[in-house]
Amino acid sequence: MNSDAAKEILSAYRSADRDGADPIFHEALNQMESDSELKKWFEEQQDLDQTIREKLASIEPPADLQAKILARIRGEKVRRFALPQVWLAAAACLIVGGIALFYSTRQRGPDRFQEFKSDAMAMVSVQGGPALDLKTPDLSETQTYLRDHQAPRDDAIPARLQSMETAGCRAFVWKDYPASLTCFRLPDGLLLHLVVIDRKAMGNANIPVGFKSVGDWHVMFQQKGEMLMMWATQAPMEQFKQMVVKAGWEGAKGVRGILGVKGVAGVAAVQSEAPPEGASRRGGDRI
Amino acid sequence: MRSELDLESIVSELYSPLYRFAFALSRNETQAADLTQETFLILAKQQAQVRDITKIKSWLFTTLRREFLRGLRSQSTHPEVELKPEHQDELVTDSEVLKASDAATVMEALAGVDESYRMVLELFYLSDLSYKEIAATLDVPIGTVMSRLSRGKEQLRTLLAKTASPSKIIPRPNSRTSL
Repeated sequence: MNSDAAKEILSAYRSADRDGADPIFHEALNQMESDSELKKWFEEQQDLDQTIREKLASIEPPADLQAKILARIRGEKVRRFALPQVWLAAAACLIVGGIALFYSTRQRGPDRFQEFKSDAMAMVSVQGGPALDLKTPDLSETQTYLRDHQAPRDDAIPARLQSMETAGCRAFVWKDYPASLTCFRLPDGLLLHLVVIDRKAMGNANIPVGFKSVGDWHVMFQQKGEMLMMWATQAPMEQFKQMVVKAGWEGAKGVRGILGVKGVAGVAAVQSEAPPEGASRRGGDRI
Repeated sequence: MRSELDLESIVSELYSPLYRFAFALSRNETQAADLTQETFLILAKQQAQVRDITKIKSWLFTTLRREFLRGLRSQSTHPEVELKPEHQDELVTDSEVLKASDAATVMEALAGVDESYRMVLELFYLSDLSYKEIAATLDVPIGTVMSRLSRGKEQLRTLLAKTASPSKIIPRPNSRTSL
């Protein structure tokens, strides 16, 4: 194999971990041992590839794209499982019965949590930031507003967050349950969102544990007494962890399960998902 | 028996690279987002026909490219291929110039590569598909992929050196949230 042929083959080589086992590259790679010019060329080529990949990876999709895709897919699933009218009629009785049972027991499964997770993420990830009823840098004003609107809130905001400015807050209703959103303004200008809702809104759904990323968002759920709280931010994961673990520790009274830290618990995770689009109307609204 | 696809995981893993590929093809944020959505919707509709889950990634890129080309045909705006042979013989070795460039410059340079090489390059850099998967996606022989990659990279390298300018910032479709 001459040098040009080796170069052509090596142009398709990505990295040792992905292509190292492919025998088509072996001869060309071995040839580098005795061809210093080829080796130099290859190293420059790999450097170029890496640089280009890094540059292109900085192009980020729209914040709500994943949510839009998932919403459309869910819509498609509904259509895909649609049945002929005869069967629909037969199934109607079962559905009515099911609905009656559903409302009589008020029990809701994991889908309820998934739905909330998606809706909450759609609300906070709106480009330009979520709609807020009240825009104020003063945390106490947001708490007062939420209290006046009978929205659930965390009255034991950790000291670290208390010293931060807020962007504002919003009271809304999700599936008949009042809920709230409070946005903290982090020192680097990014926001940390806190969504609070009654834990009963999730029915008997299990809340999975751990920090997770949702696109370029980092999210964590936490149970505190009768409340379910969702933290979400685009700040770096390490910063987020430090902030939320610290927050959980400081406000540990009545808190259940955070990251296995003793006395601090109840963290649930959003796993590689994002919510459907929309859902950000103002003032005591529904999402 | 193949279990139903975990579409949400697939979306989560692949929507970003697919969007970037769509953006490279269309050079338009809205169209790129639409193409990406449409591609996943097609997967949702046709998932029963997907026999090999390991090929989902190349299937998605193939589908997105097909949808893009279909759109072009319907608009009758398919550009003429303009060969630029002068790029092929130049060799630029200053990798620092490339490191100083930004995503916009790279995209601009990619757009300047001969069309016959461009698609292979875009798949190589944006999808991270192997040469075999690229061959399957484009339905061309493996040797063709390799030769196009080799020539395309040389063209791209030359174009980057010519166009690199730190002041060219690509409009980012997703800026971080701030109020």
